[in-house]
Amino acid sequence: MAVQHVDPVIERQARLLAVDNRAAEPDIQKIYWFPHDREVRLVELTDQVPQSLDGAVHPFYFRASERDDLAAPSAIAMIRSDEYGVLTLPAEWGDWSDAVEL
Amino acid sequence: MDWHDAFLEQARSDHAILQRLADPAVEYCHRLHYLQMVAEKLAKSMLTPPGSREAPPSSHSAFVRMLQVLKTRPEVRRQLGFEEAAQFKRYIDSLLALAARIEGLAPAQAGLIRPNPEYPWRDPPTVQIHAPARFDFPEFDPRDARLIKLHGLIRDLLRIAR
Repeated sequence: MAVQHVDPVIERQARLLAVDNRAAEPDIQKIYWFPHDREVRLVELTDQVPQSLDGAVHPFYFRASERDDLAAPSAIAMIRSDEYGVLTLPAEWGDWSDAVEL
Repeated sequence: MDWHDAFLEQARSDHAILQRLADPAVEYCHRLHYLQMVAEKLAKSMLTPPGSREAPPSSHSAFVRMLQVLKTRPEVRRQLGFEEAAQFKRYIDSLLALAARIEGLAPAQAGLIRPNPEYPWRDPPTVQIHAPARFDFPEFDPRDARLIKLHGLIRDLLRIAR
Protein backbone atom coordinates (compact mmCIF):
# COMPACT_ATOMS: atom_id res chain seq x y z
CA MET A 1 0.00 0.00 0.00
CA ALA A 2 1.25 3.49 -0.82
CA VAL A 3 2.08 5.48 2.31
CA GLN A 4 0.65 8.97 2.12
CA HIS A 5 -0.28 11.83 4.37
CA VAL A 6 -4.01 12.23 4.70
CA ASP A 7 -5.69 15.34 6.03
CA PRO A 8 -7.35 14.37 9.34
CA VAL A 9 -10.42 16.32 8.25
CA ILE A 10 -10.79 13.98 5.27
CA GLU A 11 -10.32 10.89 7.40
CA ARG A 12 -12.81 12.13 9.98
CA GLN A 13 -15.39 12.77 7.28
CA ALA A 14 -14.79 9.36 5.72
CA ARG A 15 -15.39 7.68 9.06
CA LEU A 16 -18.42 9.85 9.77
CA LEU A 17 -19.96 9.01 6.40
CA ALA A 18 -19.25 5.32 6.93
CA VAL A 19 -21.11 5.34 10.23
CA ASP A 20 -23.95 7.40 8.79
CA ASN A 21 -24.24 5.28 5.65
CA ARG A 22 -24.32 2.02 7.61
CA ALA A 23 -27.10 3.42 9.76
CA ALA A 24 -29.01 4.59 6.70
CA GLU A 25 -28.55 1.35 4.77
CA PRO A 26 -28.10 -1.75 6.97
CA ASP A 27 -27.62 -3.87 3.83
CA ILE A 28 -24.16 -2.37 3.36
CA GLN A 29 -21.77 -5.22 4.21
CA LYS A 30 -18.42 -3.42 4.09
CA ILE A 31 -17.11 0.08 3.41
CA TYR A 32 -13.70 0.76 1.95
CA TRP A 33 -11.97 4.12 1.97
CA PHE A 34 -9.43 5.18 -0.66
CA PRO A 35 -7.39 7.90 1.06
CA HIS A 36 -6.95 11.12 -0.87
CA ASP A 37 -5.89 14.56 0.33
CA ARG A 38 -8.88 16.59 -0.92
CA GLU A 39 -11.80 14.21 -1.45
CA VAL A 40 -13.48 11.44 0.52
CA ARG A 41 -13.58 8.33 -1.66
CA LEU A 42 -15.66 5.38 -0.53
CA VAL A 43 -16.66 2.07 -2.06
CA GLU A 44 -19.56 0.40 -0.28
CA LEU A 45 -20.42 -3.28 -0.70
CA THR A 46 -24.05 -4.27 -0.91
CA ASP A 47 -25.76 -6.95 -2.94
CA GLN A 48 -28.79 -4.68 -3.29
CA VAL A 49 -27.24 -2.92 -6.31
CA PRO A 50 -27.28 -4.32 -9.83
CA GLN A 51 -24.15 -5.90 -11.25
CA SER A 52 -21.77 -3.57 -13.08
CA LEU A 53 -22.38 -3.67 -16.82
CA ASP A 54 -18.97 -2.44 -17.88
CA GLY A 55 -16.59 -3.83 -15.28
CA ALA A 56 -15.83 -0.44 -13.74
CA VAL A 57 -16.56 1.39 -10.49
CA HIS A 58 -18.55 4.56 -11.17
CA PRO A 59 -18.83 6.78 -8.10
CA PHE A 60 -21.43 9.49 -7.58
CA TYR A 61 -19.94 12.85 -6.65
CA PHE A 62 -21.12 15.22 -3.93
CA ARG A 63 -19.97 18.72 -3.13
CA ALA A 64 -18.92 19.71 0.37
CA SER A 65 -21.75 20.73 2.68
CA GLU A 66 -20.49 22.58 5.73
CA ARG A 67 -23.97 22.71 7.21
CA ASP A 68 -24.01 18.91 7.33
CA ASP A 69 -20.49 18.66 8.74
CA LEU A 70 -19.18 17.52 5.37
CA ALA A 71 -16.25 19.86 4.83
CA ALA A 72 -14.84 18.04 1.80
CA PRO A 73 -16.37 16.81 -1.44
CA SER A 74 -17.00 13.11 -1.61
CA ALA A 75 -17.29 10.33 -4.15
CA ILE A 76 -19.35 7.27 -3.24
CA ALA A 77 -19.76 4.05 -5.19
CA MET A 78 -21.87 1.04 -4.31
CA ILE A 79 -20.86 -2.31 -5.77
CA ARG A 80 -21.75 -5.94 -5.16
CA SER A 81 -19.60 -7.88 -2.72
CA ASP A 82 -18.29 -10.23 -5.42
CA GLU A 83 -17.13 -7.23 -7.46
CA TYR A 84 -14.67 -6.10 -4.78
CA GLY A 85 -11.13 -6.30 -6.10
CA VAL A 86 -12.42 -7.19 -9.57
CA LEU A 87 -13.85 -3.99 -11.03
CA THR A 88 -11.62 -1.29 -12.46
CA LEU A 89 -11.26 1.66 -10.10
CA PRO A 90 -11.57 5.26 -11.30
CA ALA A 91 -8.36 6.83 -12.53
CA GLU A 92 -6.27 8.27 -9.68
CA TRP A 93 -7.95 6.12 -7.04
CA GLY A 94 -4.95 3.83 -6.89
CA ASP A 95 -5.57 0.10 -6.72
CA TRP A 96 -7.56 -2.20 -4.50
CA SER A 97 -4.60 -2.69 -2.17
CA ASP A 98 -4.96 1.01 -1.23
CA ALA A 99 -8.41 0.38 0.22
CA VAL A 100 -8.81 0.84 3.96
CA GLU A 101 -11.75 -0.95 5.52
CA LEU A 102 -13.75 1.33 7.78
CA MET B 1 -19.40 24.69 -18.72
CA ASP B 2 -18.23 21.27 -17.50
CA TRP B 3 -19.89 17.86 -18.03
CA HIS B 4 -21.56 17.92 -14.61
CA ASP B 5 -23.23 21.27 -15.21
CA ALA B 6 -24.08 20.41 -18.82
CA PHE B 7 -25.94 17.21 -17.89
CA LEU B 8 -27.71 18.96 -15.01
CA GLU B 9 -28.71 21.86 -17.24
CA GLN B 10 -30.07 19.50 -19.89
CA ALA B 11 -31.94 17.44 -17.27
CA ARG B 12 -33.63 20.65 -16.06
CA SER B 13 -34.50 21.65 -19.61
CA ASP B 14 -35.91 18.18 -20.36
CA HIS B 15 -37.96 18.43 -17.18
CA ALA B 16 -39.39 21.79 -18.26
CA ILE B 17 -40.53 20.12 -21.48
CA LEU B 18 -41.95 17.20 -19.49
CA GLN B 19 -44.13 19.64 -17.56
CA ARG B 20 -45.52 20.98 -20.84
CA LEU B 21 -46.44 17.49 -22.01
CA ALA B 22 -49.16 17.07 -19.38
CA ASP B 23 -51.70 18.20 -21.99
CA PRO B 24 -54.03 15.20 -22.53
CA ALA B 25 -53.86 15.86 -26.29
CA VAL B 26 -50.19 14.81 -26.22
CA GLU B 27 -49.55 11.07 -26.50
CA TYR B 28 -48.50 9.60 -23.16
CA CYS B 29 -45.32 8.04 -24.59
CA HIS B 30 -43.73 11.48 -24.81
CA ARG B 31 -44.15 12.09 -21.08
CA LEU B 32 -42.55 8.74 -20.31
CA HIS B 33 -39.77 9.41 -22.78
CA TYR B 34 -38.92 12.71 -21.13
CA LEU B 35 -39.24 11.27 -17.62
CA GLN B 36 -36.74 8.54 -18.52
CA MET B 37 -34.37 11.08 -20.09
CA VAL B 38 -34.55 13.45 -17.11
CA ALA B 39 -33.77 10.58 -14.73
CA GLU B 40 -30.83 9.42 -16.84
CA LYS B 41 -29.30 12.88 -17.26
CA LEU B 42 -29.72 13.75 -13.60
CA ALA B 43 -27.88 10.56 -12.67
CA LYS B 44 -25.16 11.23 -15.22
CA SER B 45 -24.60 14.73 -13.85
CA MET B 46 -23.86 13.12 -10.49
CA LEU B 47 -21.54 10.57 -12.06
CA THR B 48 -19.30 13.45 -13.09
CA PRO B 49 -17.39 15.49 -10.52
CA PRO B 50 -17.92 19.25 -10.73
CA GLY B 51 -15.23 20.77 -12.93
CA SER B 52 -14.54 17.51 -14.76
CA ARG B 53 -13.53 17.58 -18.40
CA GLU B 54 -14.20 13.86 -18.68
CA ALA B 55 -17.61 12.71 -19.93
CA PRO B 56 -19.67 10.39 -17.70
CA PRO B 57 -19.99 6.69 -18.59
CA SER B 58 -22.38 5.99 -21.45
CA SER B 59 -24.49 3.49 -19.49
CA HIS B 60 -28.27 4.05 -19.34
CA SER B 61 -28.53 2.31 -15.98
CA ALA B 62 -27.39 4.91 -13.49
CA PHE B 63 -30.71 6.12 -12.10
CA VAL B 64 -31.46 3.27 -9.68
CA ARG B 65 -27.88 3.18 -8.48
CA MET B 66 -28.01 6.95 -7.93
CA LEU B 67 -31.11 6.60 -5.74
CA GLN B 68 -29.45 3.82 -3.74
CA VAL B 69 -26.47 6.05 -3.03
CA LEU B 70 -28.63 9.12 -2.35
CA LYS B 71 -30.52 7.42 0.44
CA THR B 72 -27.32 7.31 2.50
CA ARG B 73 -26.53 11.01 2.04
CA PRO B 74 -27.27 13.18 5.09
CA GLU B 75 -27.33 16.47 3.17
CA VAL B 76 -29.78 15.15 0.59
CA ARG B 77 -31.97 13.75 3.33
CA ARG B 78 -32.04 17.11 5.09
CA GLN B 79 -32.67 19.12 1.93
CA LEU B 80 -35.61 16.89 1.03
CA GLY B 81 -37.12 17.45 4.48
CA PHE B 82 -36.56 14.04 6.09
CA GLU B 83 -35.43 14.06 9.71
CA GLU B 84 -34.74 10.35 10.10
CA ALA B 85 -32.48 8.19 7.96
CA ALA B 86 -34.81 5.20 8.33
CA GLN B 87 -37.77 7.20 7.07
CA PHE B 88 -35.77 8.45 4.08
CA LYS B 89 -34.61 4.90 3.30
CA ARG B 90 -38.20 3.64 3.32
CA TYR B 91 -39.22 6.48 1.03
CA ILE B 92 -36.48 5.75 -1.51
CA ASP B 93 -36.87 1.96 -1.23
CA SER B 94 -40.57 2.27 -2.02
CA LEU B 95 -39.64 3.80 -5.38
CA LEU B 96 -36.75 1.61 -6.50
CA ALA B 97 -38.79 -0.99 -8.40
CA LEU B 98 -40.62 1.69 -10.35
CA ALA B 99 -37.36 3.58 -10.92
CA ALA B 100 -35.89 0.39 -12.42
CA ARG B 101 -38.84 0.13 -14.79
CA ILE B 102 -38.41 3.77 -15.81
CA GLU B 103 -34.72 3.09 -16.39
CA GLY B 104 -35.68 0.06 -18.48
CA LEU B 105 -37.64 2.29 -20.85
CA ALA B 106 -34.42 3.45 -22.48
CA PRO B 107 -34.40 2.00 -26.00
CA ALA B 108 -30.91 0.63 -25.40
CA GLN B 109 -32.37 -1.58 -22.67
CA ALA B 110 -35.79 -2.30 -24.16
CA GLY B 111 -34.47 -3.14 -27.61
CA LEU B 112 -37.11 -3.76 -30.27
CA ILE B 113 -38.96 -6.40 -28.24
CA ARG B 114 -40.18 -4.52 -25.15
CA PRO B 115 -42.33 -1.43 -24.72
CA ASN B 116 -40.38 1.80 -24.80
CA PRO B 117 -41.62 5.33 -25.36
CA GLU B 118 -39.36 6.23 -28.27
CA TYR B 119 -39.19 3.46 -30.92
CA PRO B 120 -41.68 0.92 -32.26
CA TRP B 121 -41.20 -2.65 -31.05
CA ARG B 122 -42.53 -6.14 -31.76
CA ASP B 123 -44.07 -8.07 -28.89
CA PRO B 124 -42.56 -11.61 -29.13
CA PRO B 125 -45.56 -13.61 -27.81
CA THR B 126 -48.13 -11.95 -30.08
CA VAL B 127 -45.74 -10.90 -32.88
CA GLN B 128 -47.65 -7.62 -32.95
CA ILE B 129 -45.77 -4.46 -33.81
CA HIS B 130 -46.52 -1.44 -31.63
CA ALA B 131 -45.98 2.28 -32.05
CA PRO B 132 -45.32 4.05 -28.73
CA ALA B 133 -47.76 6.81 -29.66
CA ARG B 134 -50.60 4.24 -29.85
CA PHE B 135 -49.67 2.28 -26.70
CA ASP B 136 -51.17 2.90 -23.24
CA PHE B 137 -48.17 1.79 -21.13
CA PRO B 138 -50.40 0.20 -18.46
CA GLU B 139 -47.38 -0.38 -16.20
CA PHE B 140 -47.03 3.40 -15.89
CA ASP B 141 -50.49 4.65 -15.04
CA PRO B 142 -50.08 8.43 -14.65
CA ARG B 143 -52.52 8.32 -11.71
CA ASP B 144 -50.38 5.75 -9.85
CA ALA B 145 -49.37 7.29 -6.51
CA ARG B 146 -45.86 5.84 -6.79
CA LEU B 147 -45.30 7.36 -10.21
CA ILE B 148 -46.48 10.73 -8.94
CA LYS B 149 -44.15 10.34 -5.94
CA LEU B 150 -41.19 9.38 -8.12
CA HIS B 151 -41.77 12.35 -10.40
CA GLY B 152 -41.92 14.56 -7.29
CA LEU B 153 -38.61 13.16 -6.08
CA ILE B 154 -36.95 13.86 -9.43
CA ARG B 155 -38.32 17.39 -9.40
CA ASP B 156 -36.98 17.94 -5.87
CA LEU B 157 -33.58 16.50 -6.77
CA LEU B 158 -33.35 18.87 -9.73
CA ARG B 159 -34.19 21.71 -7.37
CA ILE B 160 -31.45 20.94 -4.86
CA ALA B 161 -28.78 19.71 -7.29
CA ARG B 162 -25.83 22.03 -7.82
